Order: sequence, then structure tokens, then C-alpha cells
Amino acid sequence: MSEPVLEVRDLVKHYPVRNGLLRRSVGAVKAVDGVSLTLERGKTLGLVGESGSGKSTLARVLVGVETPTSGEVLVDGEDVTRLNRAGRKQLRRDVQMVFQDPYTSLNPRMSVSEIVGEPFAIHGTDPADGRRAAVGELLELVGLDPDHANRYPHQFSGGQRQRVGIARALALRPKILVCDEPVSALDVSVQGQVINLLEDLQAELGLSYLFVAHDLGVVRHIAHDVAVMYLGRIVEQGREADVYDGARHPYTQALLSAVPVPDPSVRLVTASTPLVAPASGVATEAGAATGAGLTGSIGAIVLEGDPPSPVDPPSGCPFHTRCWLAPTLPEVQPDPIPSYPPTDRPDAGLRLVPAVCETDVPALVPRPGTGSAGAPAEAPGGAPAGASHVVACHFARELVAHRVEV
Amino acid sequence: MSAGMSSGTSAASGTPLLEVTDLAVEFRTPDGVVRAVDGLSYRVEAGRTLAIVGESGSGKSVSSLAVMGLLPDTARITRGSVRLAGTDLLAMSRKQHRAHCGEQVAMVFQDALAALNPVHTVGYQLTEALRARRGLSRDDARRRAVELLDLVNVPNAKARVKEYPHQFSGGMRQRVMIASALAMDPDVLIADEPTTALDVTVQAQVLRLLAEIQAERQMGLVLITHDLGVVAGVADDVTVMYAGRAVEQAPVVPVYTTPAHPYTRALLRSIPSASGTGRLPVIPGRPPSPAAMPSGCPFHPRCDAVRDVCRTEVPPQAVPAEGRMSACHFAADIMAGRDPAPDGGGSHE
Repeated sequence: MSEPVLEVRDLVKHYPVRNGLLRRSVGAVKAVDGVSLTLERGKTLGLVGESGSGKSTLARVLVGVETPTSGEVLVDGEDVTRLNRAGRKQLRRDVQMVFQDPYTSLNPRMSVSEIVGEPFAIHGTDPADGRRAAVGELLELVGLDPDHANRYPHQFSGGQRQRVGIARALALRPKILVCDEPVSALDVSVQGQVINLLEDLQAELGLSYLFVAHDLGVVRHIAHDVAVMYLGRIVEQGREADVYDGARHPYTQALLSAVPVPDPSVRLVTASTPLVAPASGVATEAGAATGAGLTGSIGAIVLEGDPPSPVDPPSGCPFHTRCWLAPTLPEVQPDPIPSYPPTDRPDAGLRLVPAVCETDVPALVPRPGTGSAGAPAEAPGGAPAGASHVVACHFARELVAHRVEV
Repeated sequence: MSAGMSSGTSAASGTPLLEVTDLAVEFRTPDGVVRAVDGLSYRVEAGRTLAIVGESGSGKSVSSLAVMGLLPDTARITRGSVRLAGTDLLAMSRKQHRAHCGEQVAMVFQDALAALNPVHTVGYQLTEALRARRGLSRDDARRRAVELLDLVNVPNAKARVKEYPHQFSGGMRQRVMIASALAMDPDVLIADEPTTALDVTVQAQVLRLLAEIQAERQMGLVLITHDLGVVAGVADDVTVMYAGRAVEQAPVVPVYTTPAHPYTRALLRSIPSASGTGRLPVIPGRPPSPAAMPSGCPFHPRCDAVRDVCRTEVPPQAVPAEGRMSACHFAADIMAGRDPAPDGGGSHE
């Protein structure tokens, strides 16, 4: 295990909700609610979750765009949340950001050389051999023609613009790149080019990435470690292979099983007609290759409803209102609890979940079966040292039996 | 033009619900006339799902707007026919076309927030078509709106018809879009990237809902998407578009197992997958601008199996196997997983 370049400890970011004449704070959007992460040097940490899970807020806190409500962010061992103005400016050299939308994150009135050279101007650190040469080098590094430095963003395609954004982020030789959905606005055929570029740059420059994305396939490809967020909390975290092949949290399992796989033998829905055209020899052969069950639907877990609002998250485990596992457990209490969000509608479905899911926030504990079997009860806030795969579920042990094939 | 899509014909009785033949659409732009769709043909049968796959600019959305009669004024249909249950819509006036379409074809758009009117209640918008065309009274319309929301599994439908679009979450808004598309009980539903803006867990809900409704009503569904995962999960037939043309058409299984066009093959390879570590195979370059289309095969500058003939001659619509179409000079080779014969070996094919 290599040394961490970035450590996040119990990070909290709440946005006050103000109301009324006096703009009194009447509550808070708990965007990030106690997150601990470790990014190893030269590695990629993938952060996945649905919209509203707080993954983008976390990214913004890490680059210093937002100040956290509480918690620590350590870059190379130094807590950057306590920095003064000059210190924050230095932080921004070390931690740079690549944005999602290459159409809105580049100023249309600046030429590419101005965009890529702007960090030098802002930080007053002109490179030894001049800004123009440095910009040319950066463009070459990301696979763009340095002769195009005087062009404007609109003269480039989406993939090329994203390369410009990456060149700008690399200008100050940062240690960490925070990539917020860097390929989701790009076409499939161009996505791969940008992913490969990021991987090449990592190998060449020893960069560490925090890679925020909702596309689980992309994250699986690029990340070494993966953290899954739900409603401002991390529910599962571990090595890429552990999380993808051995997901233990019911939310991670649902998320993975909802990803459409590019394999027609895995149907999201029952096919209306037999899929294998009997006339076509090729198709029949294909059917034989993929085995039986071509017309059946897979046992995908389809979650009910939308994620709850982070203004008023459910008590206890944040996932218990949508959890597919909890109602099936023998620990379910006999008294029905009202559905979430509360309605006075009489036909609102009543879900039964174990009492502990409703009352206690589950801590991140080592996955059952790895190391310290039993006694996962008392684990402090963050990921316990030594455990590479952690899960925040009261019933992580029961989950072994519910493993989904993805 | 009967190439491809024949697998469904045996199951269907006579005329397909929707048949597009040799459709070509041009746009007037400041840079001159640009051809967005060039010779697209497909057919949709009752109870089946056709997926149209392509990247941005491939013409997949423009072709469906042409079917609906919703093209902007700068666009012109230069060729082809769109037959709805046998009637050619393009032979009609624009007004007739839309009236005809409004009864039998409905469309679901990608961005539900932009497609819904923020100043009207959801219930009002759901039944707009019914009140305009069927003359429903306000009470009947409200009752129908509740039924429609119930149909798409929006909880608490009775109260929610009085709410406005901003009070709905993304997934719920898309359900409202689907409900309003179903209001007129269409035979064909065209869904243009219906789940692209949604989270995966919600995407799964919406896709499942669409499929259930389709099976129940035996609708024909045209699903326009760029996501090959979604296609594999729900489609019966697939049309892959590139630079305004259909480059491959086939039932869904062979498209994935034995793609017959290098573009389809490259697209499938470029999906980051479970097994994938190491370098992701990519398609070099980028899709051509419609204003500067390459000579010969439009895909040849990016193709990994390119030969001399590809640079000069537009490939014909080959039929490498029954029920399949591939616009590639070497369709049979690609389908069999062989490299086409090297140049200088005489004639192609």
C-alpha cells in the first residue's frame, strides 16, 4: 500500500436553508455528512453515486471552492481547511479540477493559449522558458496540435475541448486532479480517447485522480479504489475488484444491477418475442454461445422511488427507505412504519424494516469474510485501518447470500 | 431498400405500423446545404422495439422529427416516404401530417423539464391533446389525467395532477412525459434518449415501465439512444446510424455477437467493461461534420479495416445474412471476423 496524497476525515458540508423575513436558518441541506476517504499517490479513487448523493459537493470542497462545515482535508499531511489565503492559493496549485462540461467551462472569448496559460498569470509563476513554450508543451502533452493555440474553443470538438480543460488543469503541475464527470458529456467513441489520455498522464506524471462519475463502467475501467456515496455518506468503499465483484451493500448491489450491460442475453425486460431468429444461423449460434435463458429477464434489483431529499434525510440508515433487503430480514419489527416521504394518503405503502435500520446510522465496517470476522460493531467513524473493503450496513453479513451477478 | 429488418416480417401480419423508406433530410445553414439524414429506411412492427443507435450528429433525432412532422423551417425532406399503417405522411400537407401523427404516433423527449411547460399544472398538460382533439370536459380531463399518472406509477396521482413540473423529480417528470405521450393511445411511441438524463436506478425503472406498457398495448417502440447497454437490454431490432446513414441493421443478438460493420464493432469494443483494464480500444478521430463529408464510405477515415475502394466508393447496402444489412464493402468479412483481403488483390467483395 502506497502513501496517501489526500486524506479526508469526517468531512461535513451543510448548506443552511433560510426562510422567512429574517432569513433564519430553518434547516440544512446535508450535502456531505461525515465522509472519510484516502487517495493514494499515483492512484485513482472513483467516487460514484446518483445525483444528489453529494459527490460533486465533495469534489468542490476538495479543490477549495467550498469551505467545509467541519472535518479535515489533508493534502500531503497538511490540513488545508485551516489554511490562510496564501495557503489556499498554494493548495490550488496542488489540487486542480477538470470539469464536466467542456462547452461551458472554457471562456469562449479567450483563445486556447490564453485559457491554458491563465493559471500562470493568476499564480504569477511564469515558467522558465516562457509561457508560450509551456502552453505548447501542455497542448502536446494532451494530444493537441500546439499550432492551434491561437484558436478559440468553438473551433474544437467536445473531446478536444476536454483536452484543453485537462491541459489547463495540468499547467501548474498539480499532484491531484479532481475530475468531476469528465467524460459524461462526450460521445462514446470520444470518451475512450479522453480516458486513455488521463491514464497515460497518470503513468507519465504520477498524478493522483479523484474521479467523480455516475457511469459505473467508466469508473471500473479507470479507478483503483471505489467509494459509493448515498445521501452524503459513503456506504461502501474498497478496491475496484472487491466493490464490483463482491458488492456487499444493498445500495451498491442495486446500483450495479441497474447498469445496462451491452449483452443482449441479459435482458432488462422480458423479451416480447423470442430473441433468436430461427432462420439465421448466426443468431442461433450466438444463442447457443450465451446459453439458455435468452428470453428471460435477469434478476435485476429495481429500486422503488427516488433518493430522499438531503434536507430531511431518513433517520438511521439513509438507505432504509428504499432498501430492498431490509423488509426481507427476519429482524423486521411487527409495527408498520409509515412510508417515506410521509403522506397522509391512506394507501401509502407500509414498509417493514428492522428497527435498527431506522434508528442507528450504520458505521463503515470491514466486509464480513475479510479478516476480523465477528465483532464489527465498534468501528470508529472512518474506515478502520487495515480493512480495504468496508460496508455501512447493519446486515452486511446477510448480504453475502444475496450477491448479484453483474 | 428491403434490406435488413426482415426478421420481424414473418411474425407480423402484412403492413408494419411505421415504415420509413429512403428518407433524406437537408438543412439550410450559413455554410450551405447540409445533409443530416441520407437514405434511412426502417420499419416498426406492433409490440416490437427498434433501437436507433448513433452518436451526436448521426441524424438519429432528426429522422424522428421528420417522422413526426416537427422539423424546423430550415430543414427539408428531399426524398423518401414515411408510411404510417400504409398511409404516406410525407404526401400530406404539414397540417394533415401532424394531425395524423398526433393520433397514432407519440414522442417522448430527452429533457422532460424543457419539454414540459413550467406554468401549467401537470394535469393540464397531460390532457391538453385530449381536450383539443377529443373535446373532453374539464372534469373528464382531470379524471383521465389521474388515470394516466396512475398508469405510469406516479404515487398519489390524485394530488399530483395539481402540481407543477418543478415539483417533480427527474424520474417522475419523465413518467409524466410518458403519460402524456400515452394520452392519445398511440400505436407507435418514439422515445428520444428517454433515460439519458436520469440516474441508473431511475433509468431502470423508466425502461421497465416503457417495456411493460408496450407489451400490454402492443405498441411499436422506437428507442433512440447512444447507450449500447440500454439497447441490449430492451431492443428487438437495431439500426446503427453514422453520419446520417444506417450503417447496420439487424436483430439485437447478432449485432452484439457478430457485428457486420466496422463502426458497430468499434463502438462495442470501446465500451469500458468489467474485464477492461489496460488501454481502452478507441475509435480514432471524430465523426465527420455533415458539411465536410469524406468521399466514399463516410466511416473510412476512422475505420480499422479500410481498403482503397472505401475511399472512393460509397458502399452499397449489403445483406451479409438473412435479416441483416451492413453498409460496408466488406460486410461478410467483418461479420465473419476476418480481415478484408489486402489491396492489390483485384476485385473487392
